[in-house]
Amino acid sequence: MKTTDTLRRAGRSLRQAKARTLLTSLAIAVGAFTIMMSLSAGEGTRNYSNNLIQSNVDPRALFVVQDKSLFESGGSASTGLREFDADVSDRNGRSIKLMNQEDIDALKARDDLEEVVPTYQLSVRSVTFSGSDKQYSAEVAAYNPDVKSEIAAGSLPEKGVAIKDDEIVVPEGYATTLGITPKDLVGKTMTLTIIQPTATLSEEEARQVIAAEGVEGLAQRAQGETKELPLRVVAVTKQAATSFTAATSASVSANTAREIAEFTTKGTDTYQKYLGVTAKATEGNDPAEVKTRLEKEGYAAQTAKDLQSLIFTIVNVLQYIVTGFGILALIASLFGIINTQYISVLERTSQIGLMKALGMRGSDVSRLFRYEAAWIGFLGGVIGIILALIATIILNPIINNALDLGTGNYLLAFVPWHAIVLLASLILIAILAGYFPSRKAAKLDPIEALRTE
Amino acid sequence: MIEVKNVTKTYGKGESRFMALDDVSFTIPDGVSVAILGKSGSGKSTLMHIMSGLDRTTSGEILINGENVFVKKQKNIDAFRSKTMSFIFQSFFVQGRESCYDNVGLPLEIAEVPVAERKKLITKALESVELGDKARQKAKDLSGGQKQRLAIARAIVNNPKILFADEPTGNLDTATGAVIEKLLFRYAKEQKATLIVVTHDPELAEKCDMQISIRDGKMQYIRGQSEKGENE
Ligand SMILES: Nc1ncnc2c1ncn2[C@@H]1O[C@H](COP(=O)(O)OP(=O)(O)OP(=O)(O)O)[C@@H](O)[C@H]1O
Ligand SMILES: [Mg+2]
Repeated sequence: MKTTDTLRRAGRSLRQAKARTLLTSLAIAVGAFTIMMSLSAGEGTRNYSNNLIQSNVDPRALFVVQDKSLFESGGSASTGLREFDADVSDRNGRSIKLMNQEDIDALKARDDLEEVVPTYQLSVRSVTFSGSDKQYSAEVAAYNPDVKSEIAAGSLPEKGVAIKDDEIVVPEGYATTLGITPKDLVGKTMTLTIIQPTATLSEEEARQVIAAEGVEGLAQRAQGETKELPLRVVAVTKQAATSFTAATSASVSANTAREIAEFTTKGTDTYQKYLGVTAKATEGNDPAEVKTRLEKEGYAAQTAKDLQSLIFTIVNVLQYIVTGFGILALIASLFGIINTQYISVLERTSQIGLMKALGMRGSDVSRLFRYEAAWIGFLGGVIGIILALIATIILNPIINNALDLGTGNYLLAFVPWHAIVLLASLILIAILAGYFPSRKAAKLDPIEALRTE
Repeated sequence: MIEVKNVTKTYGKGESRFMALDDVSFTIPDGVSVAILGKSGSGKSTLMHIMSGLDRTTSGEILINGENVFVKKQKNIDAFRSKTMSFIFQSFFVQGRESCYDNVGLPLEIAEVPVAERKKLITKALESVELGDKARQKAKDLSGGQKQRLAIARAIVNNPKILFADEPTGNLDTATGAVIEKLLFRYAKEQKATLIVVTHDPELAEKCDMQISIRDGKMQYIRGQSEKGENE
């Protein structure tokens, strides 16, 4: 019997038992749907996090710290006393070794790193805007030239280029608070007031101050020195959907950030002490190799890829779990196929006998039943995949809305070739499930079969 | 020419051993009609199955046109059967849920007749049993006589040289049975095909060129072979 005839005949047999065929395929469809959704969700989430990372982190970027434990979750918190070390700070019960200026300089001197910027801890006492005396409190961070920002007003240098030292970028929320349009905010001067903590002077130093500036000078020292930094607002940014940075902080250039950090920590233990630096591998240097070199020298580093693989690991584990359920559903449905096909063989005993009497080969009879199983697998797969496609189309905008992912970001990505591979595997699996019933049909003795009636 | 030589068929082993056919020999020339007669359980169907290669002999052999077809590989037997012979059964075995057209098409699919030739053959077969207008109808909606006519159409569609019929009129009333008989004889005559009919009915047997009577697995008598045999 020709393959096309066998296929047509198989399809016809299934159509003649519509309800049974449909129910058996629906069981497969459940598995197919689950697997397809899990594939789509995995793909979508990976795409989204890629998007997220790419718009926030330069692929060449590295985050270098002195203390490896920063990258390790958990870890044992030390209790009790430890020897004093000016380079060690305590955070959440853990001692963190900080970087000092020497480390920074050493890193800056390397030829496989560029744009080495320490992570400044910026604290600003208050801010004012030109045209008003009203004081506000605000968070300030160093401007990250690699983050794509949507602009509400003003302009930003192109990606990868820093802003000038006397410039500041503010979030849209500031305009709302000030009750003006973002456009009006651009060009205004935003003055940051920063304070130096009270200097603890030795007796000797105190005497010198009194000698030079009198008692007022000493009083001023005791109060702490303040400094005002007038900065020009160059741009008002919208919170980009794919941005990691909080919408609440204003951004200043790296130099200004340094000025603020050093001024506000002068005379304290944290002066010129940093958690780590952000840097970029220089052109032609693989960040991963730079990382290995840094680690050999006792630093710890994370590349953009590390961050990505961290997210991917989580996504993948979730995906494996869901796919696992889909596979379980599929296995259950396979017994459905086996059962259905066994019943079909029994029901059609006389038909099989007749076909064999008319000269149909056992292998052709077996093929007929395997093709029927294949049709069931195909049908179930198509139903499941179409349902998954529909679910993707319906759910994507809903998820997007609920999680506020921003335009064009969808957590479910339907990949056609995934669907095709899935469908092909389903057909193959169904054929395997149909193997035992089809063998029974092939081995049927035509005389026995024709006696049935 | 079909030669049956010392064919024995036993079922079971030991105590329950049962001899369904016991040393049966005869020759059927091409193009004759043969009736196999005998009481119920005498071994008529068994003989027919063995002659058609559906069943294997315990001993003895079947030669078709001088060739012992049935010692070949099953694959070759099947191919041979699909091209040379066909069957009609007492309980029609038409596929109720399929159309008449598809029922008749089955032997052509099995014999791998090219698609282009099928329609003509199927239409011709259906028309010859006067079911031309029922091609698209489901077989289950036919009457008993129509079902058997459909079975005949299916049996003759591929122009078999040998037609086996196991009590083709057993389930039908006399009038309908007569129509079926006429169709079978007409086909055999027109196509010069060998027709082998298993029957209880002496009247039907008389219409055949040859009568072979079986009793408890043994051949009781054979009539008409000589006259016809000499003609061939
Ligand atoms: N598979 C088998 N196992 C055991 N005995 C069998 C088997 N097939 C047939 N027989 C026996 O062989 C004998 C001949 O059977 P067969 O079907 O050939 O009879 P028949 O002449 O066609 O009868 P009927 O006219 O009732 O159809 C019967 O006694 C039957 O019981
Ligand atoms: Mg019988």
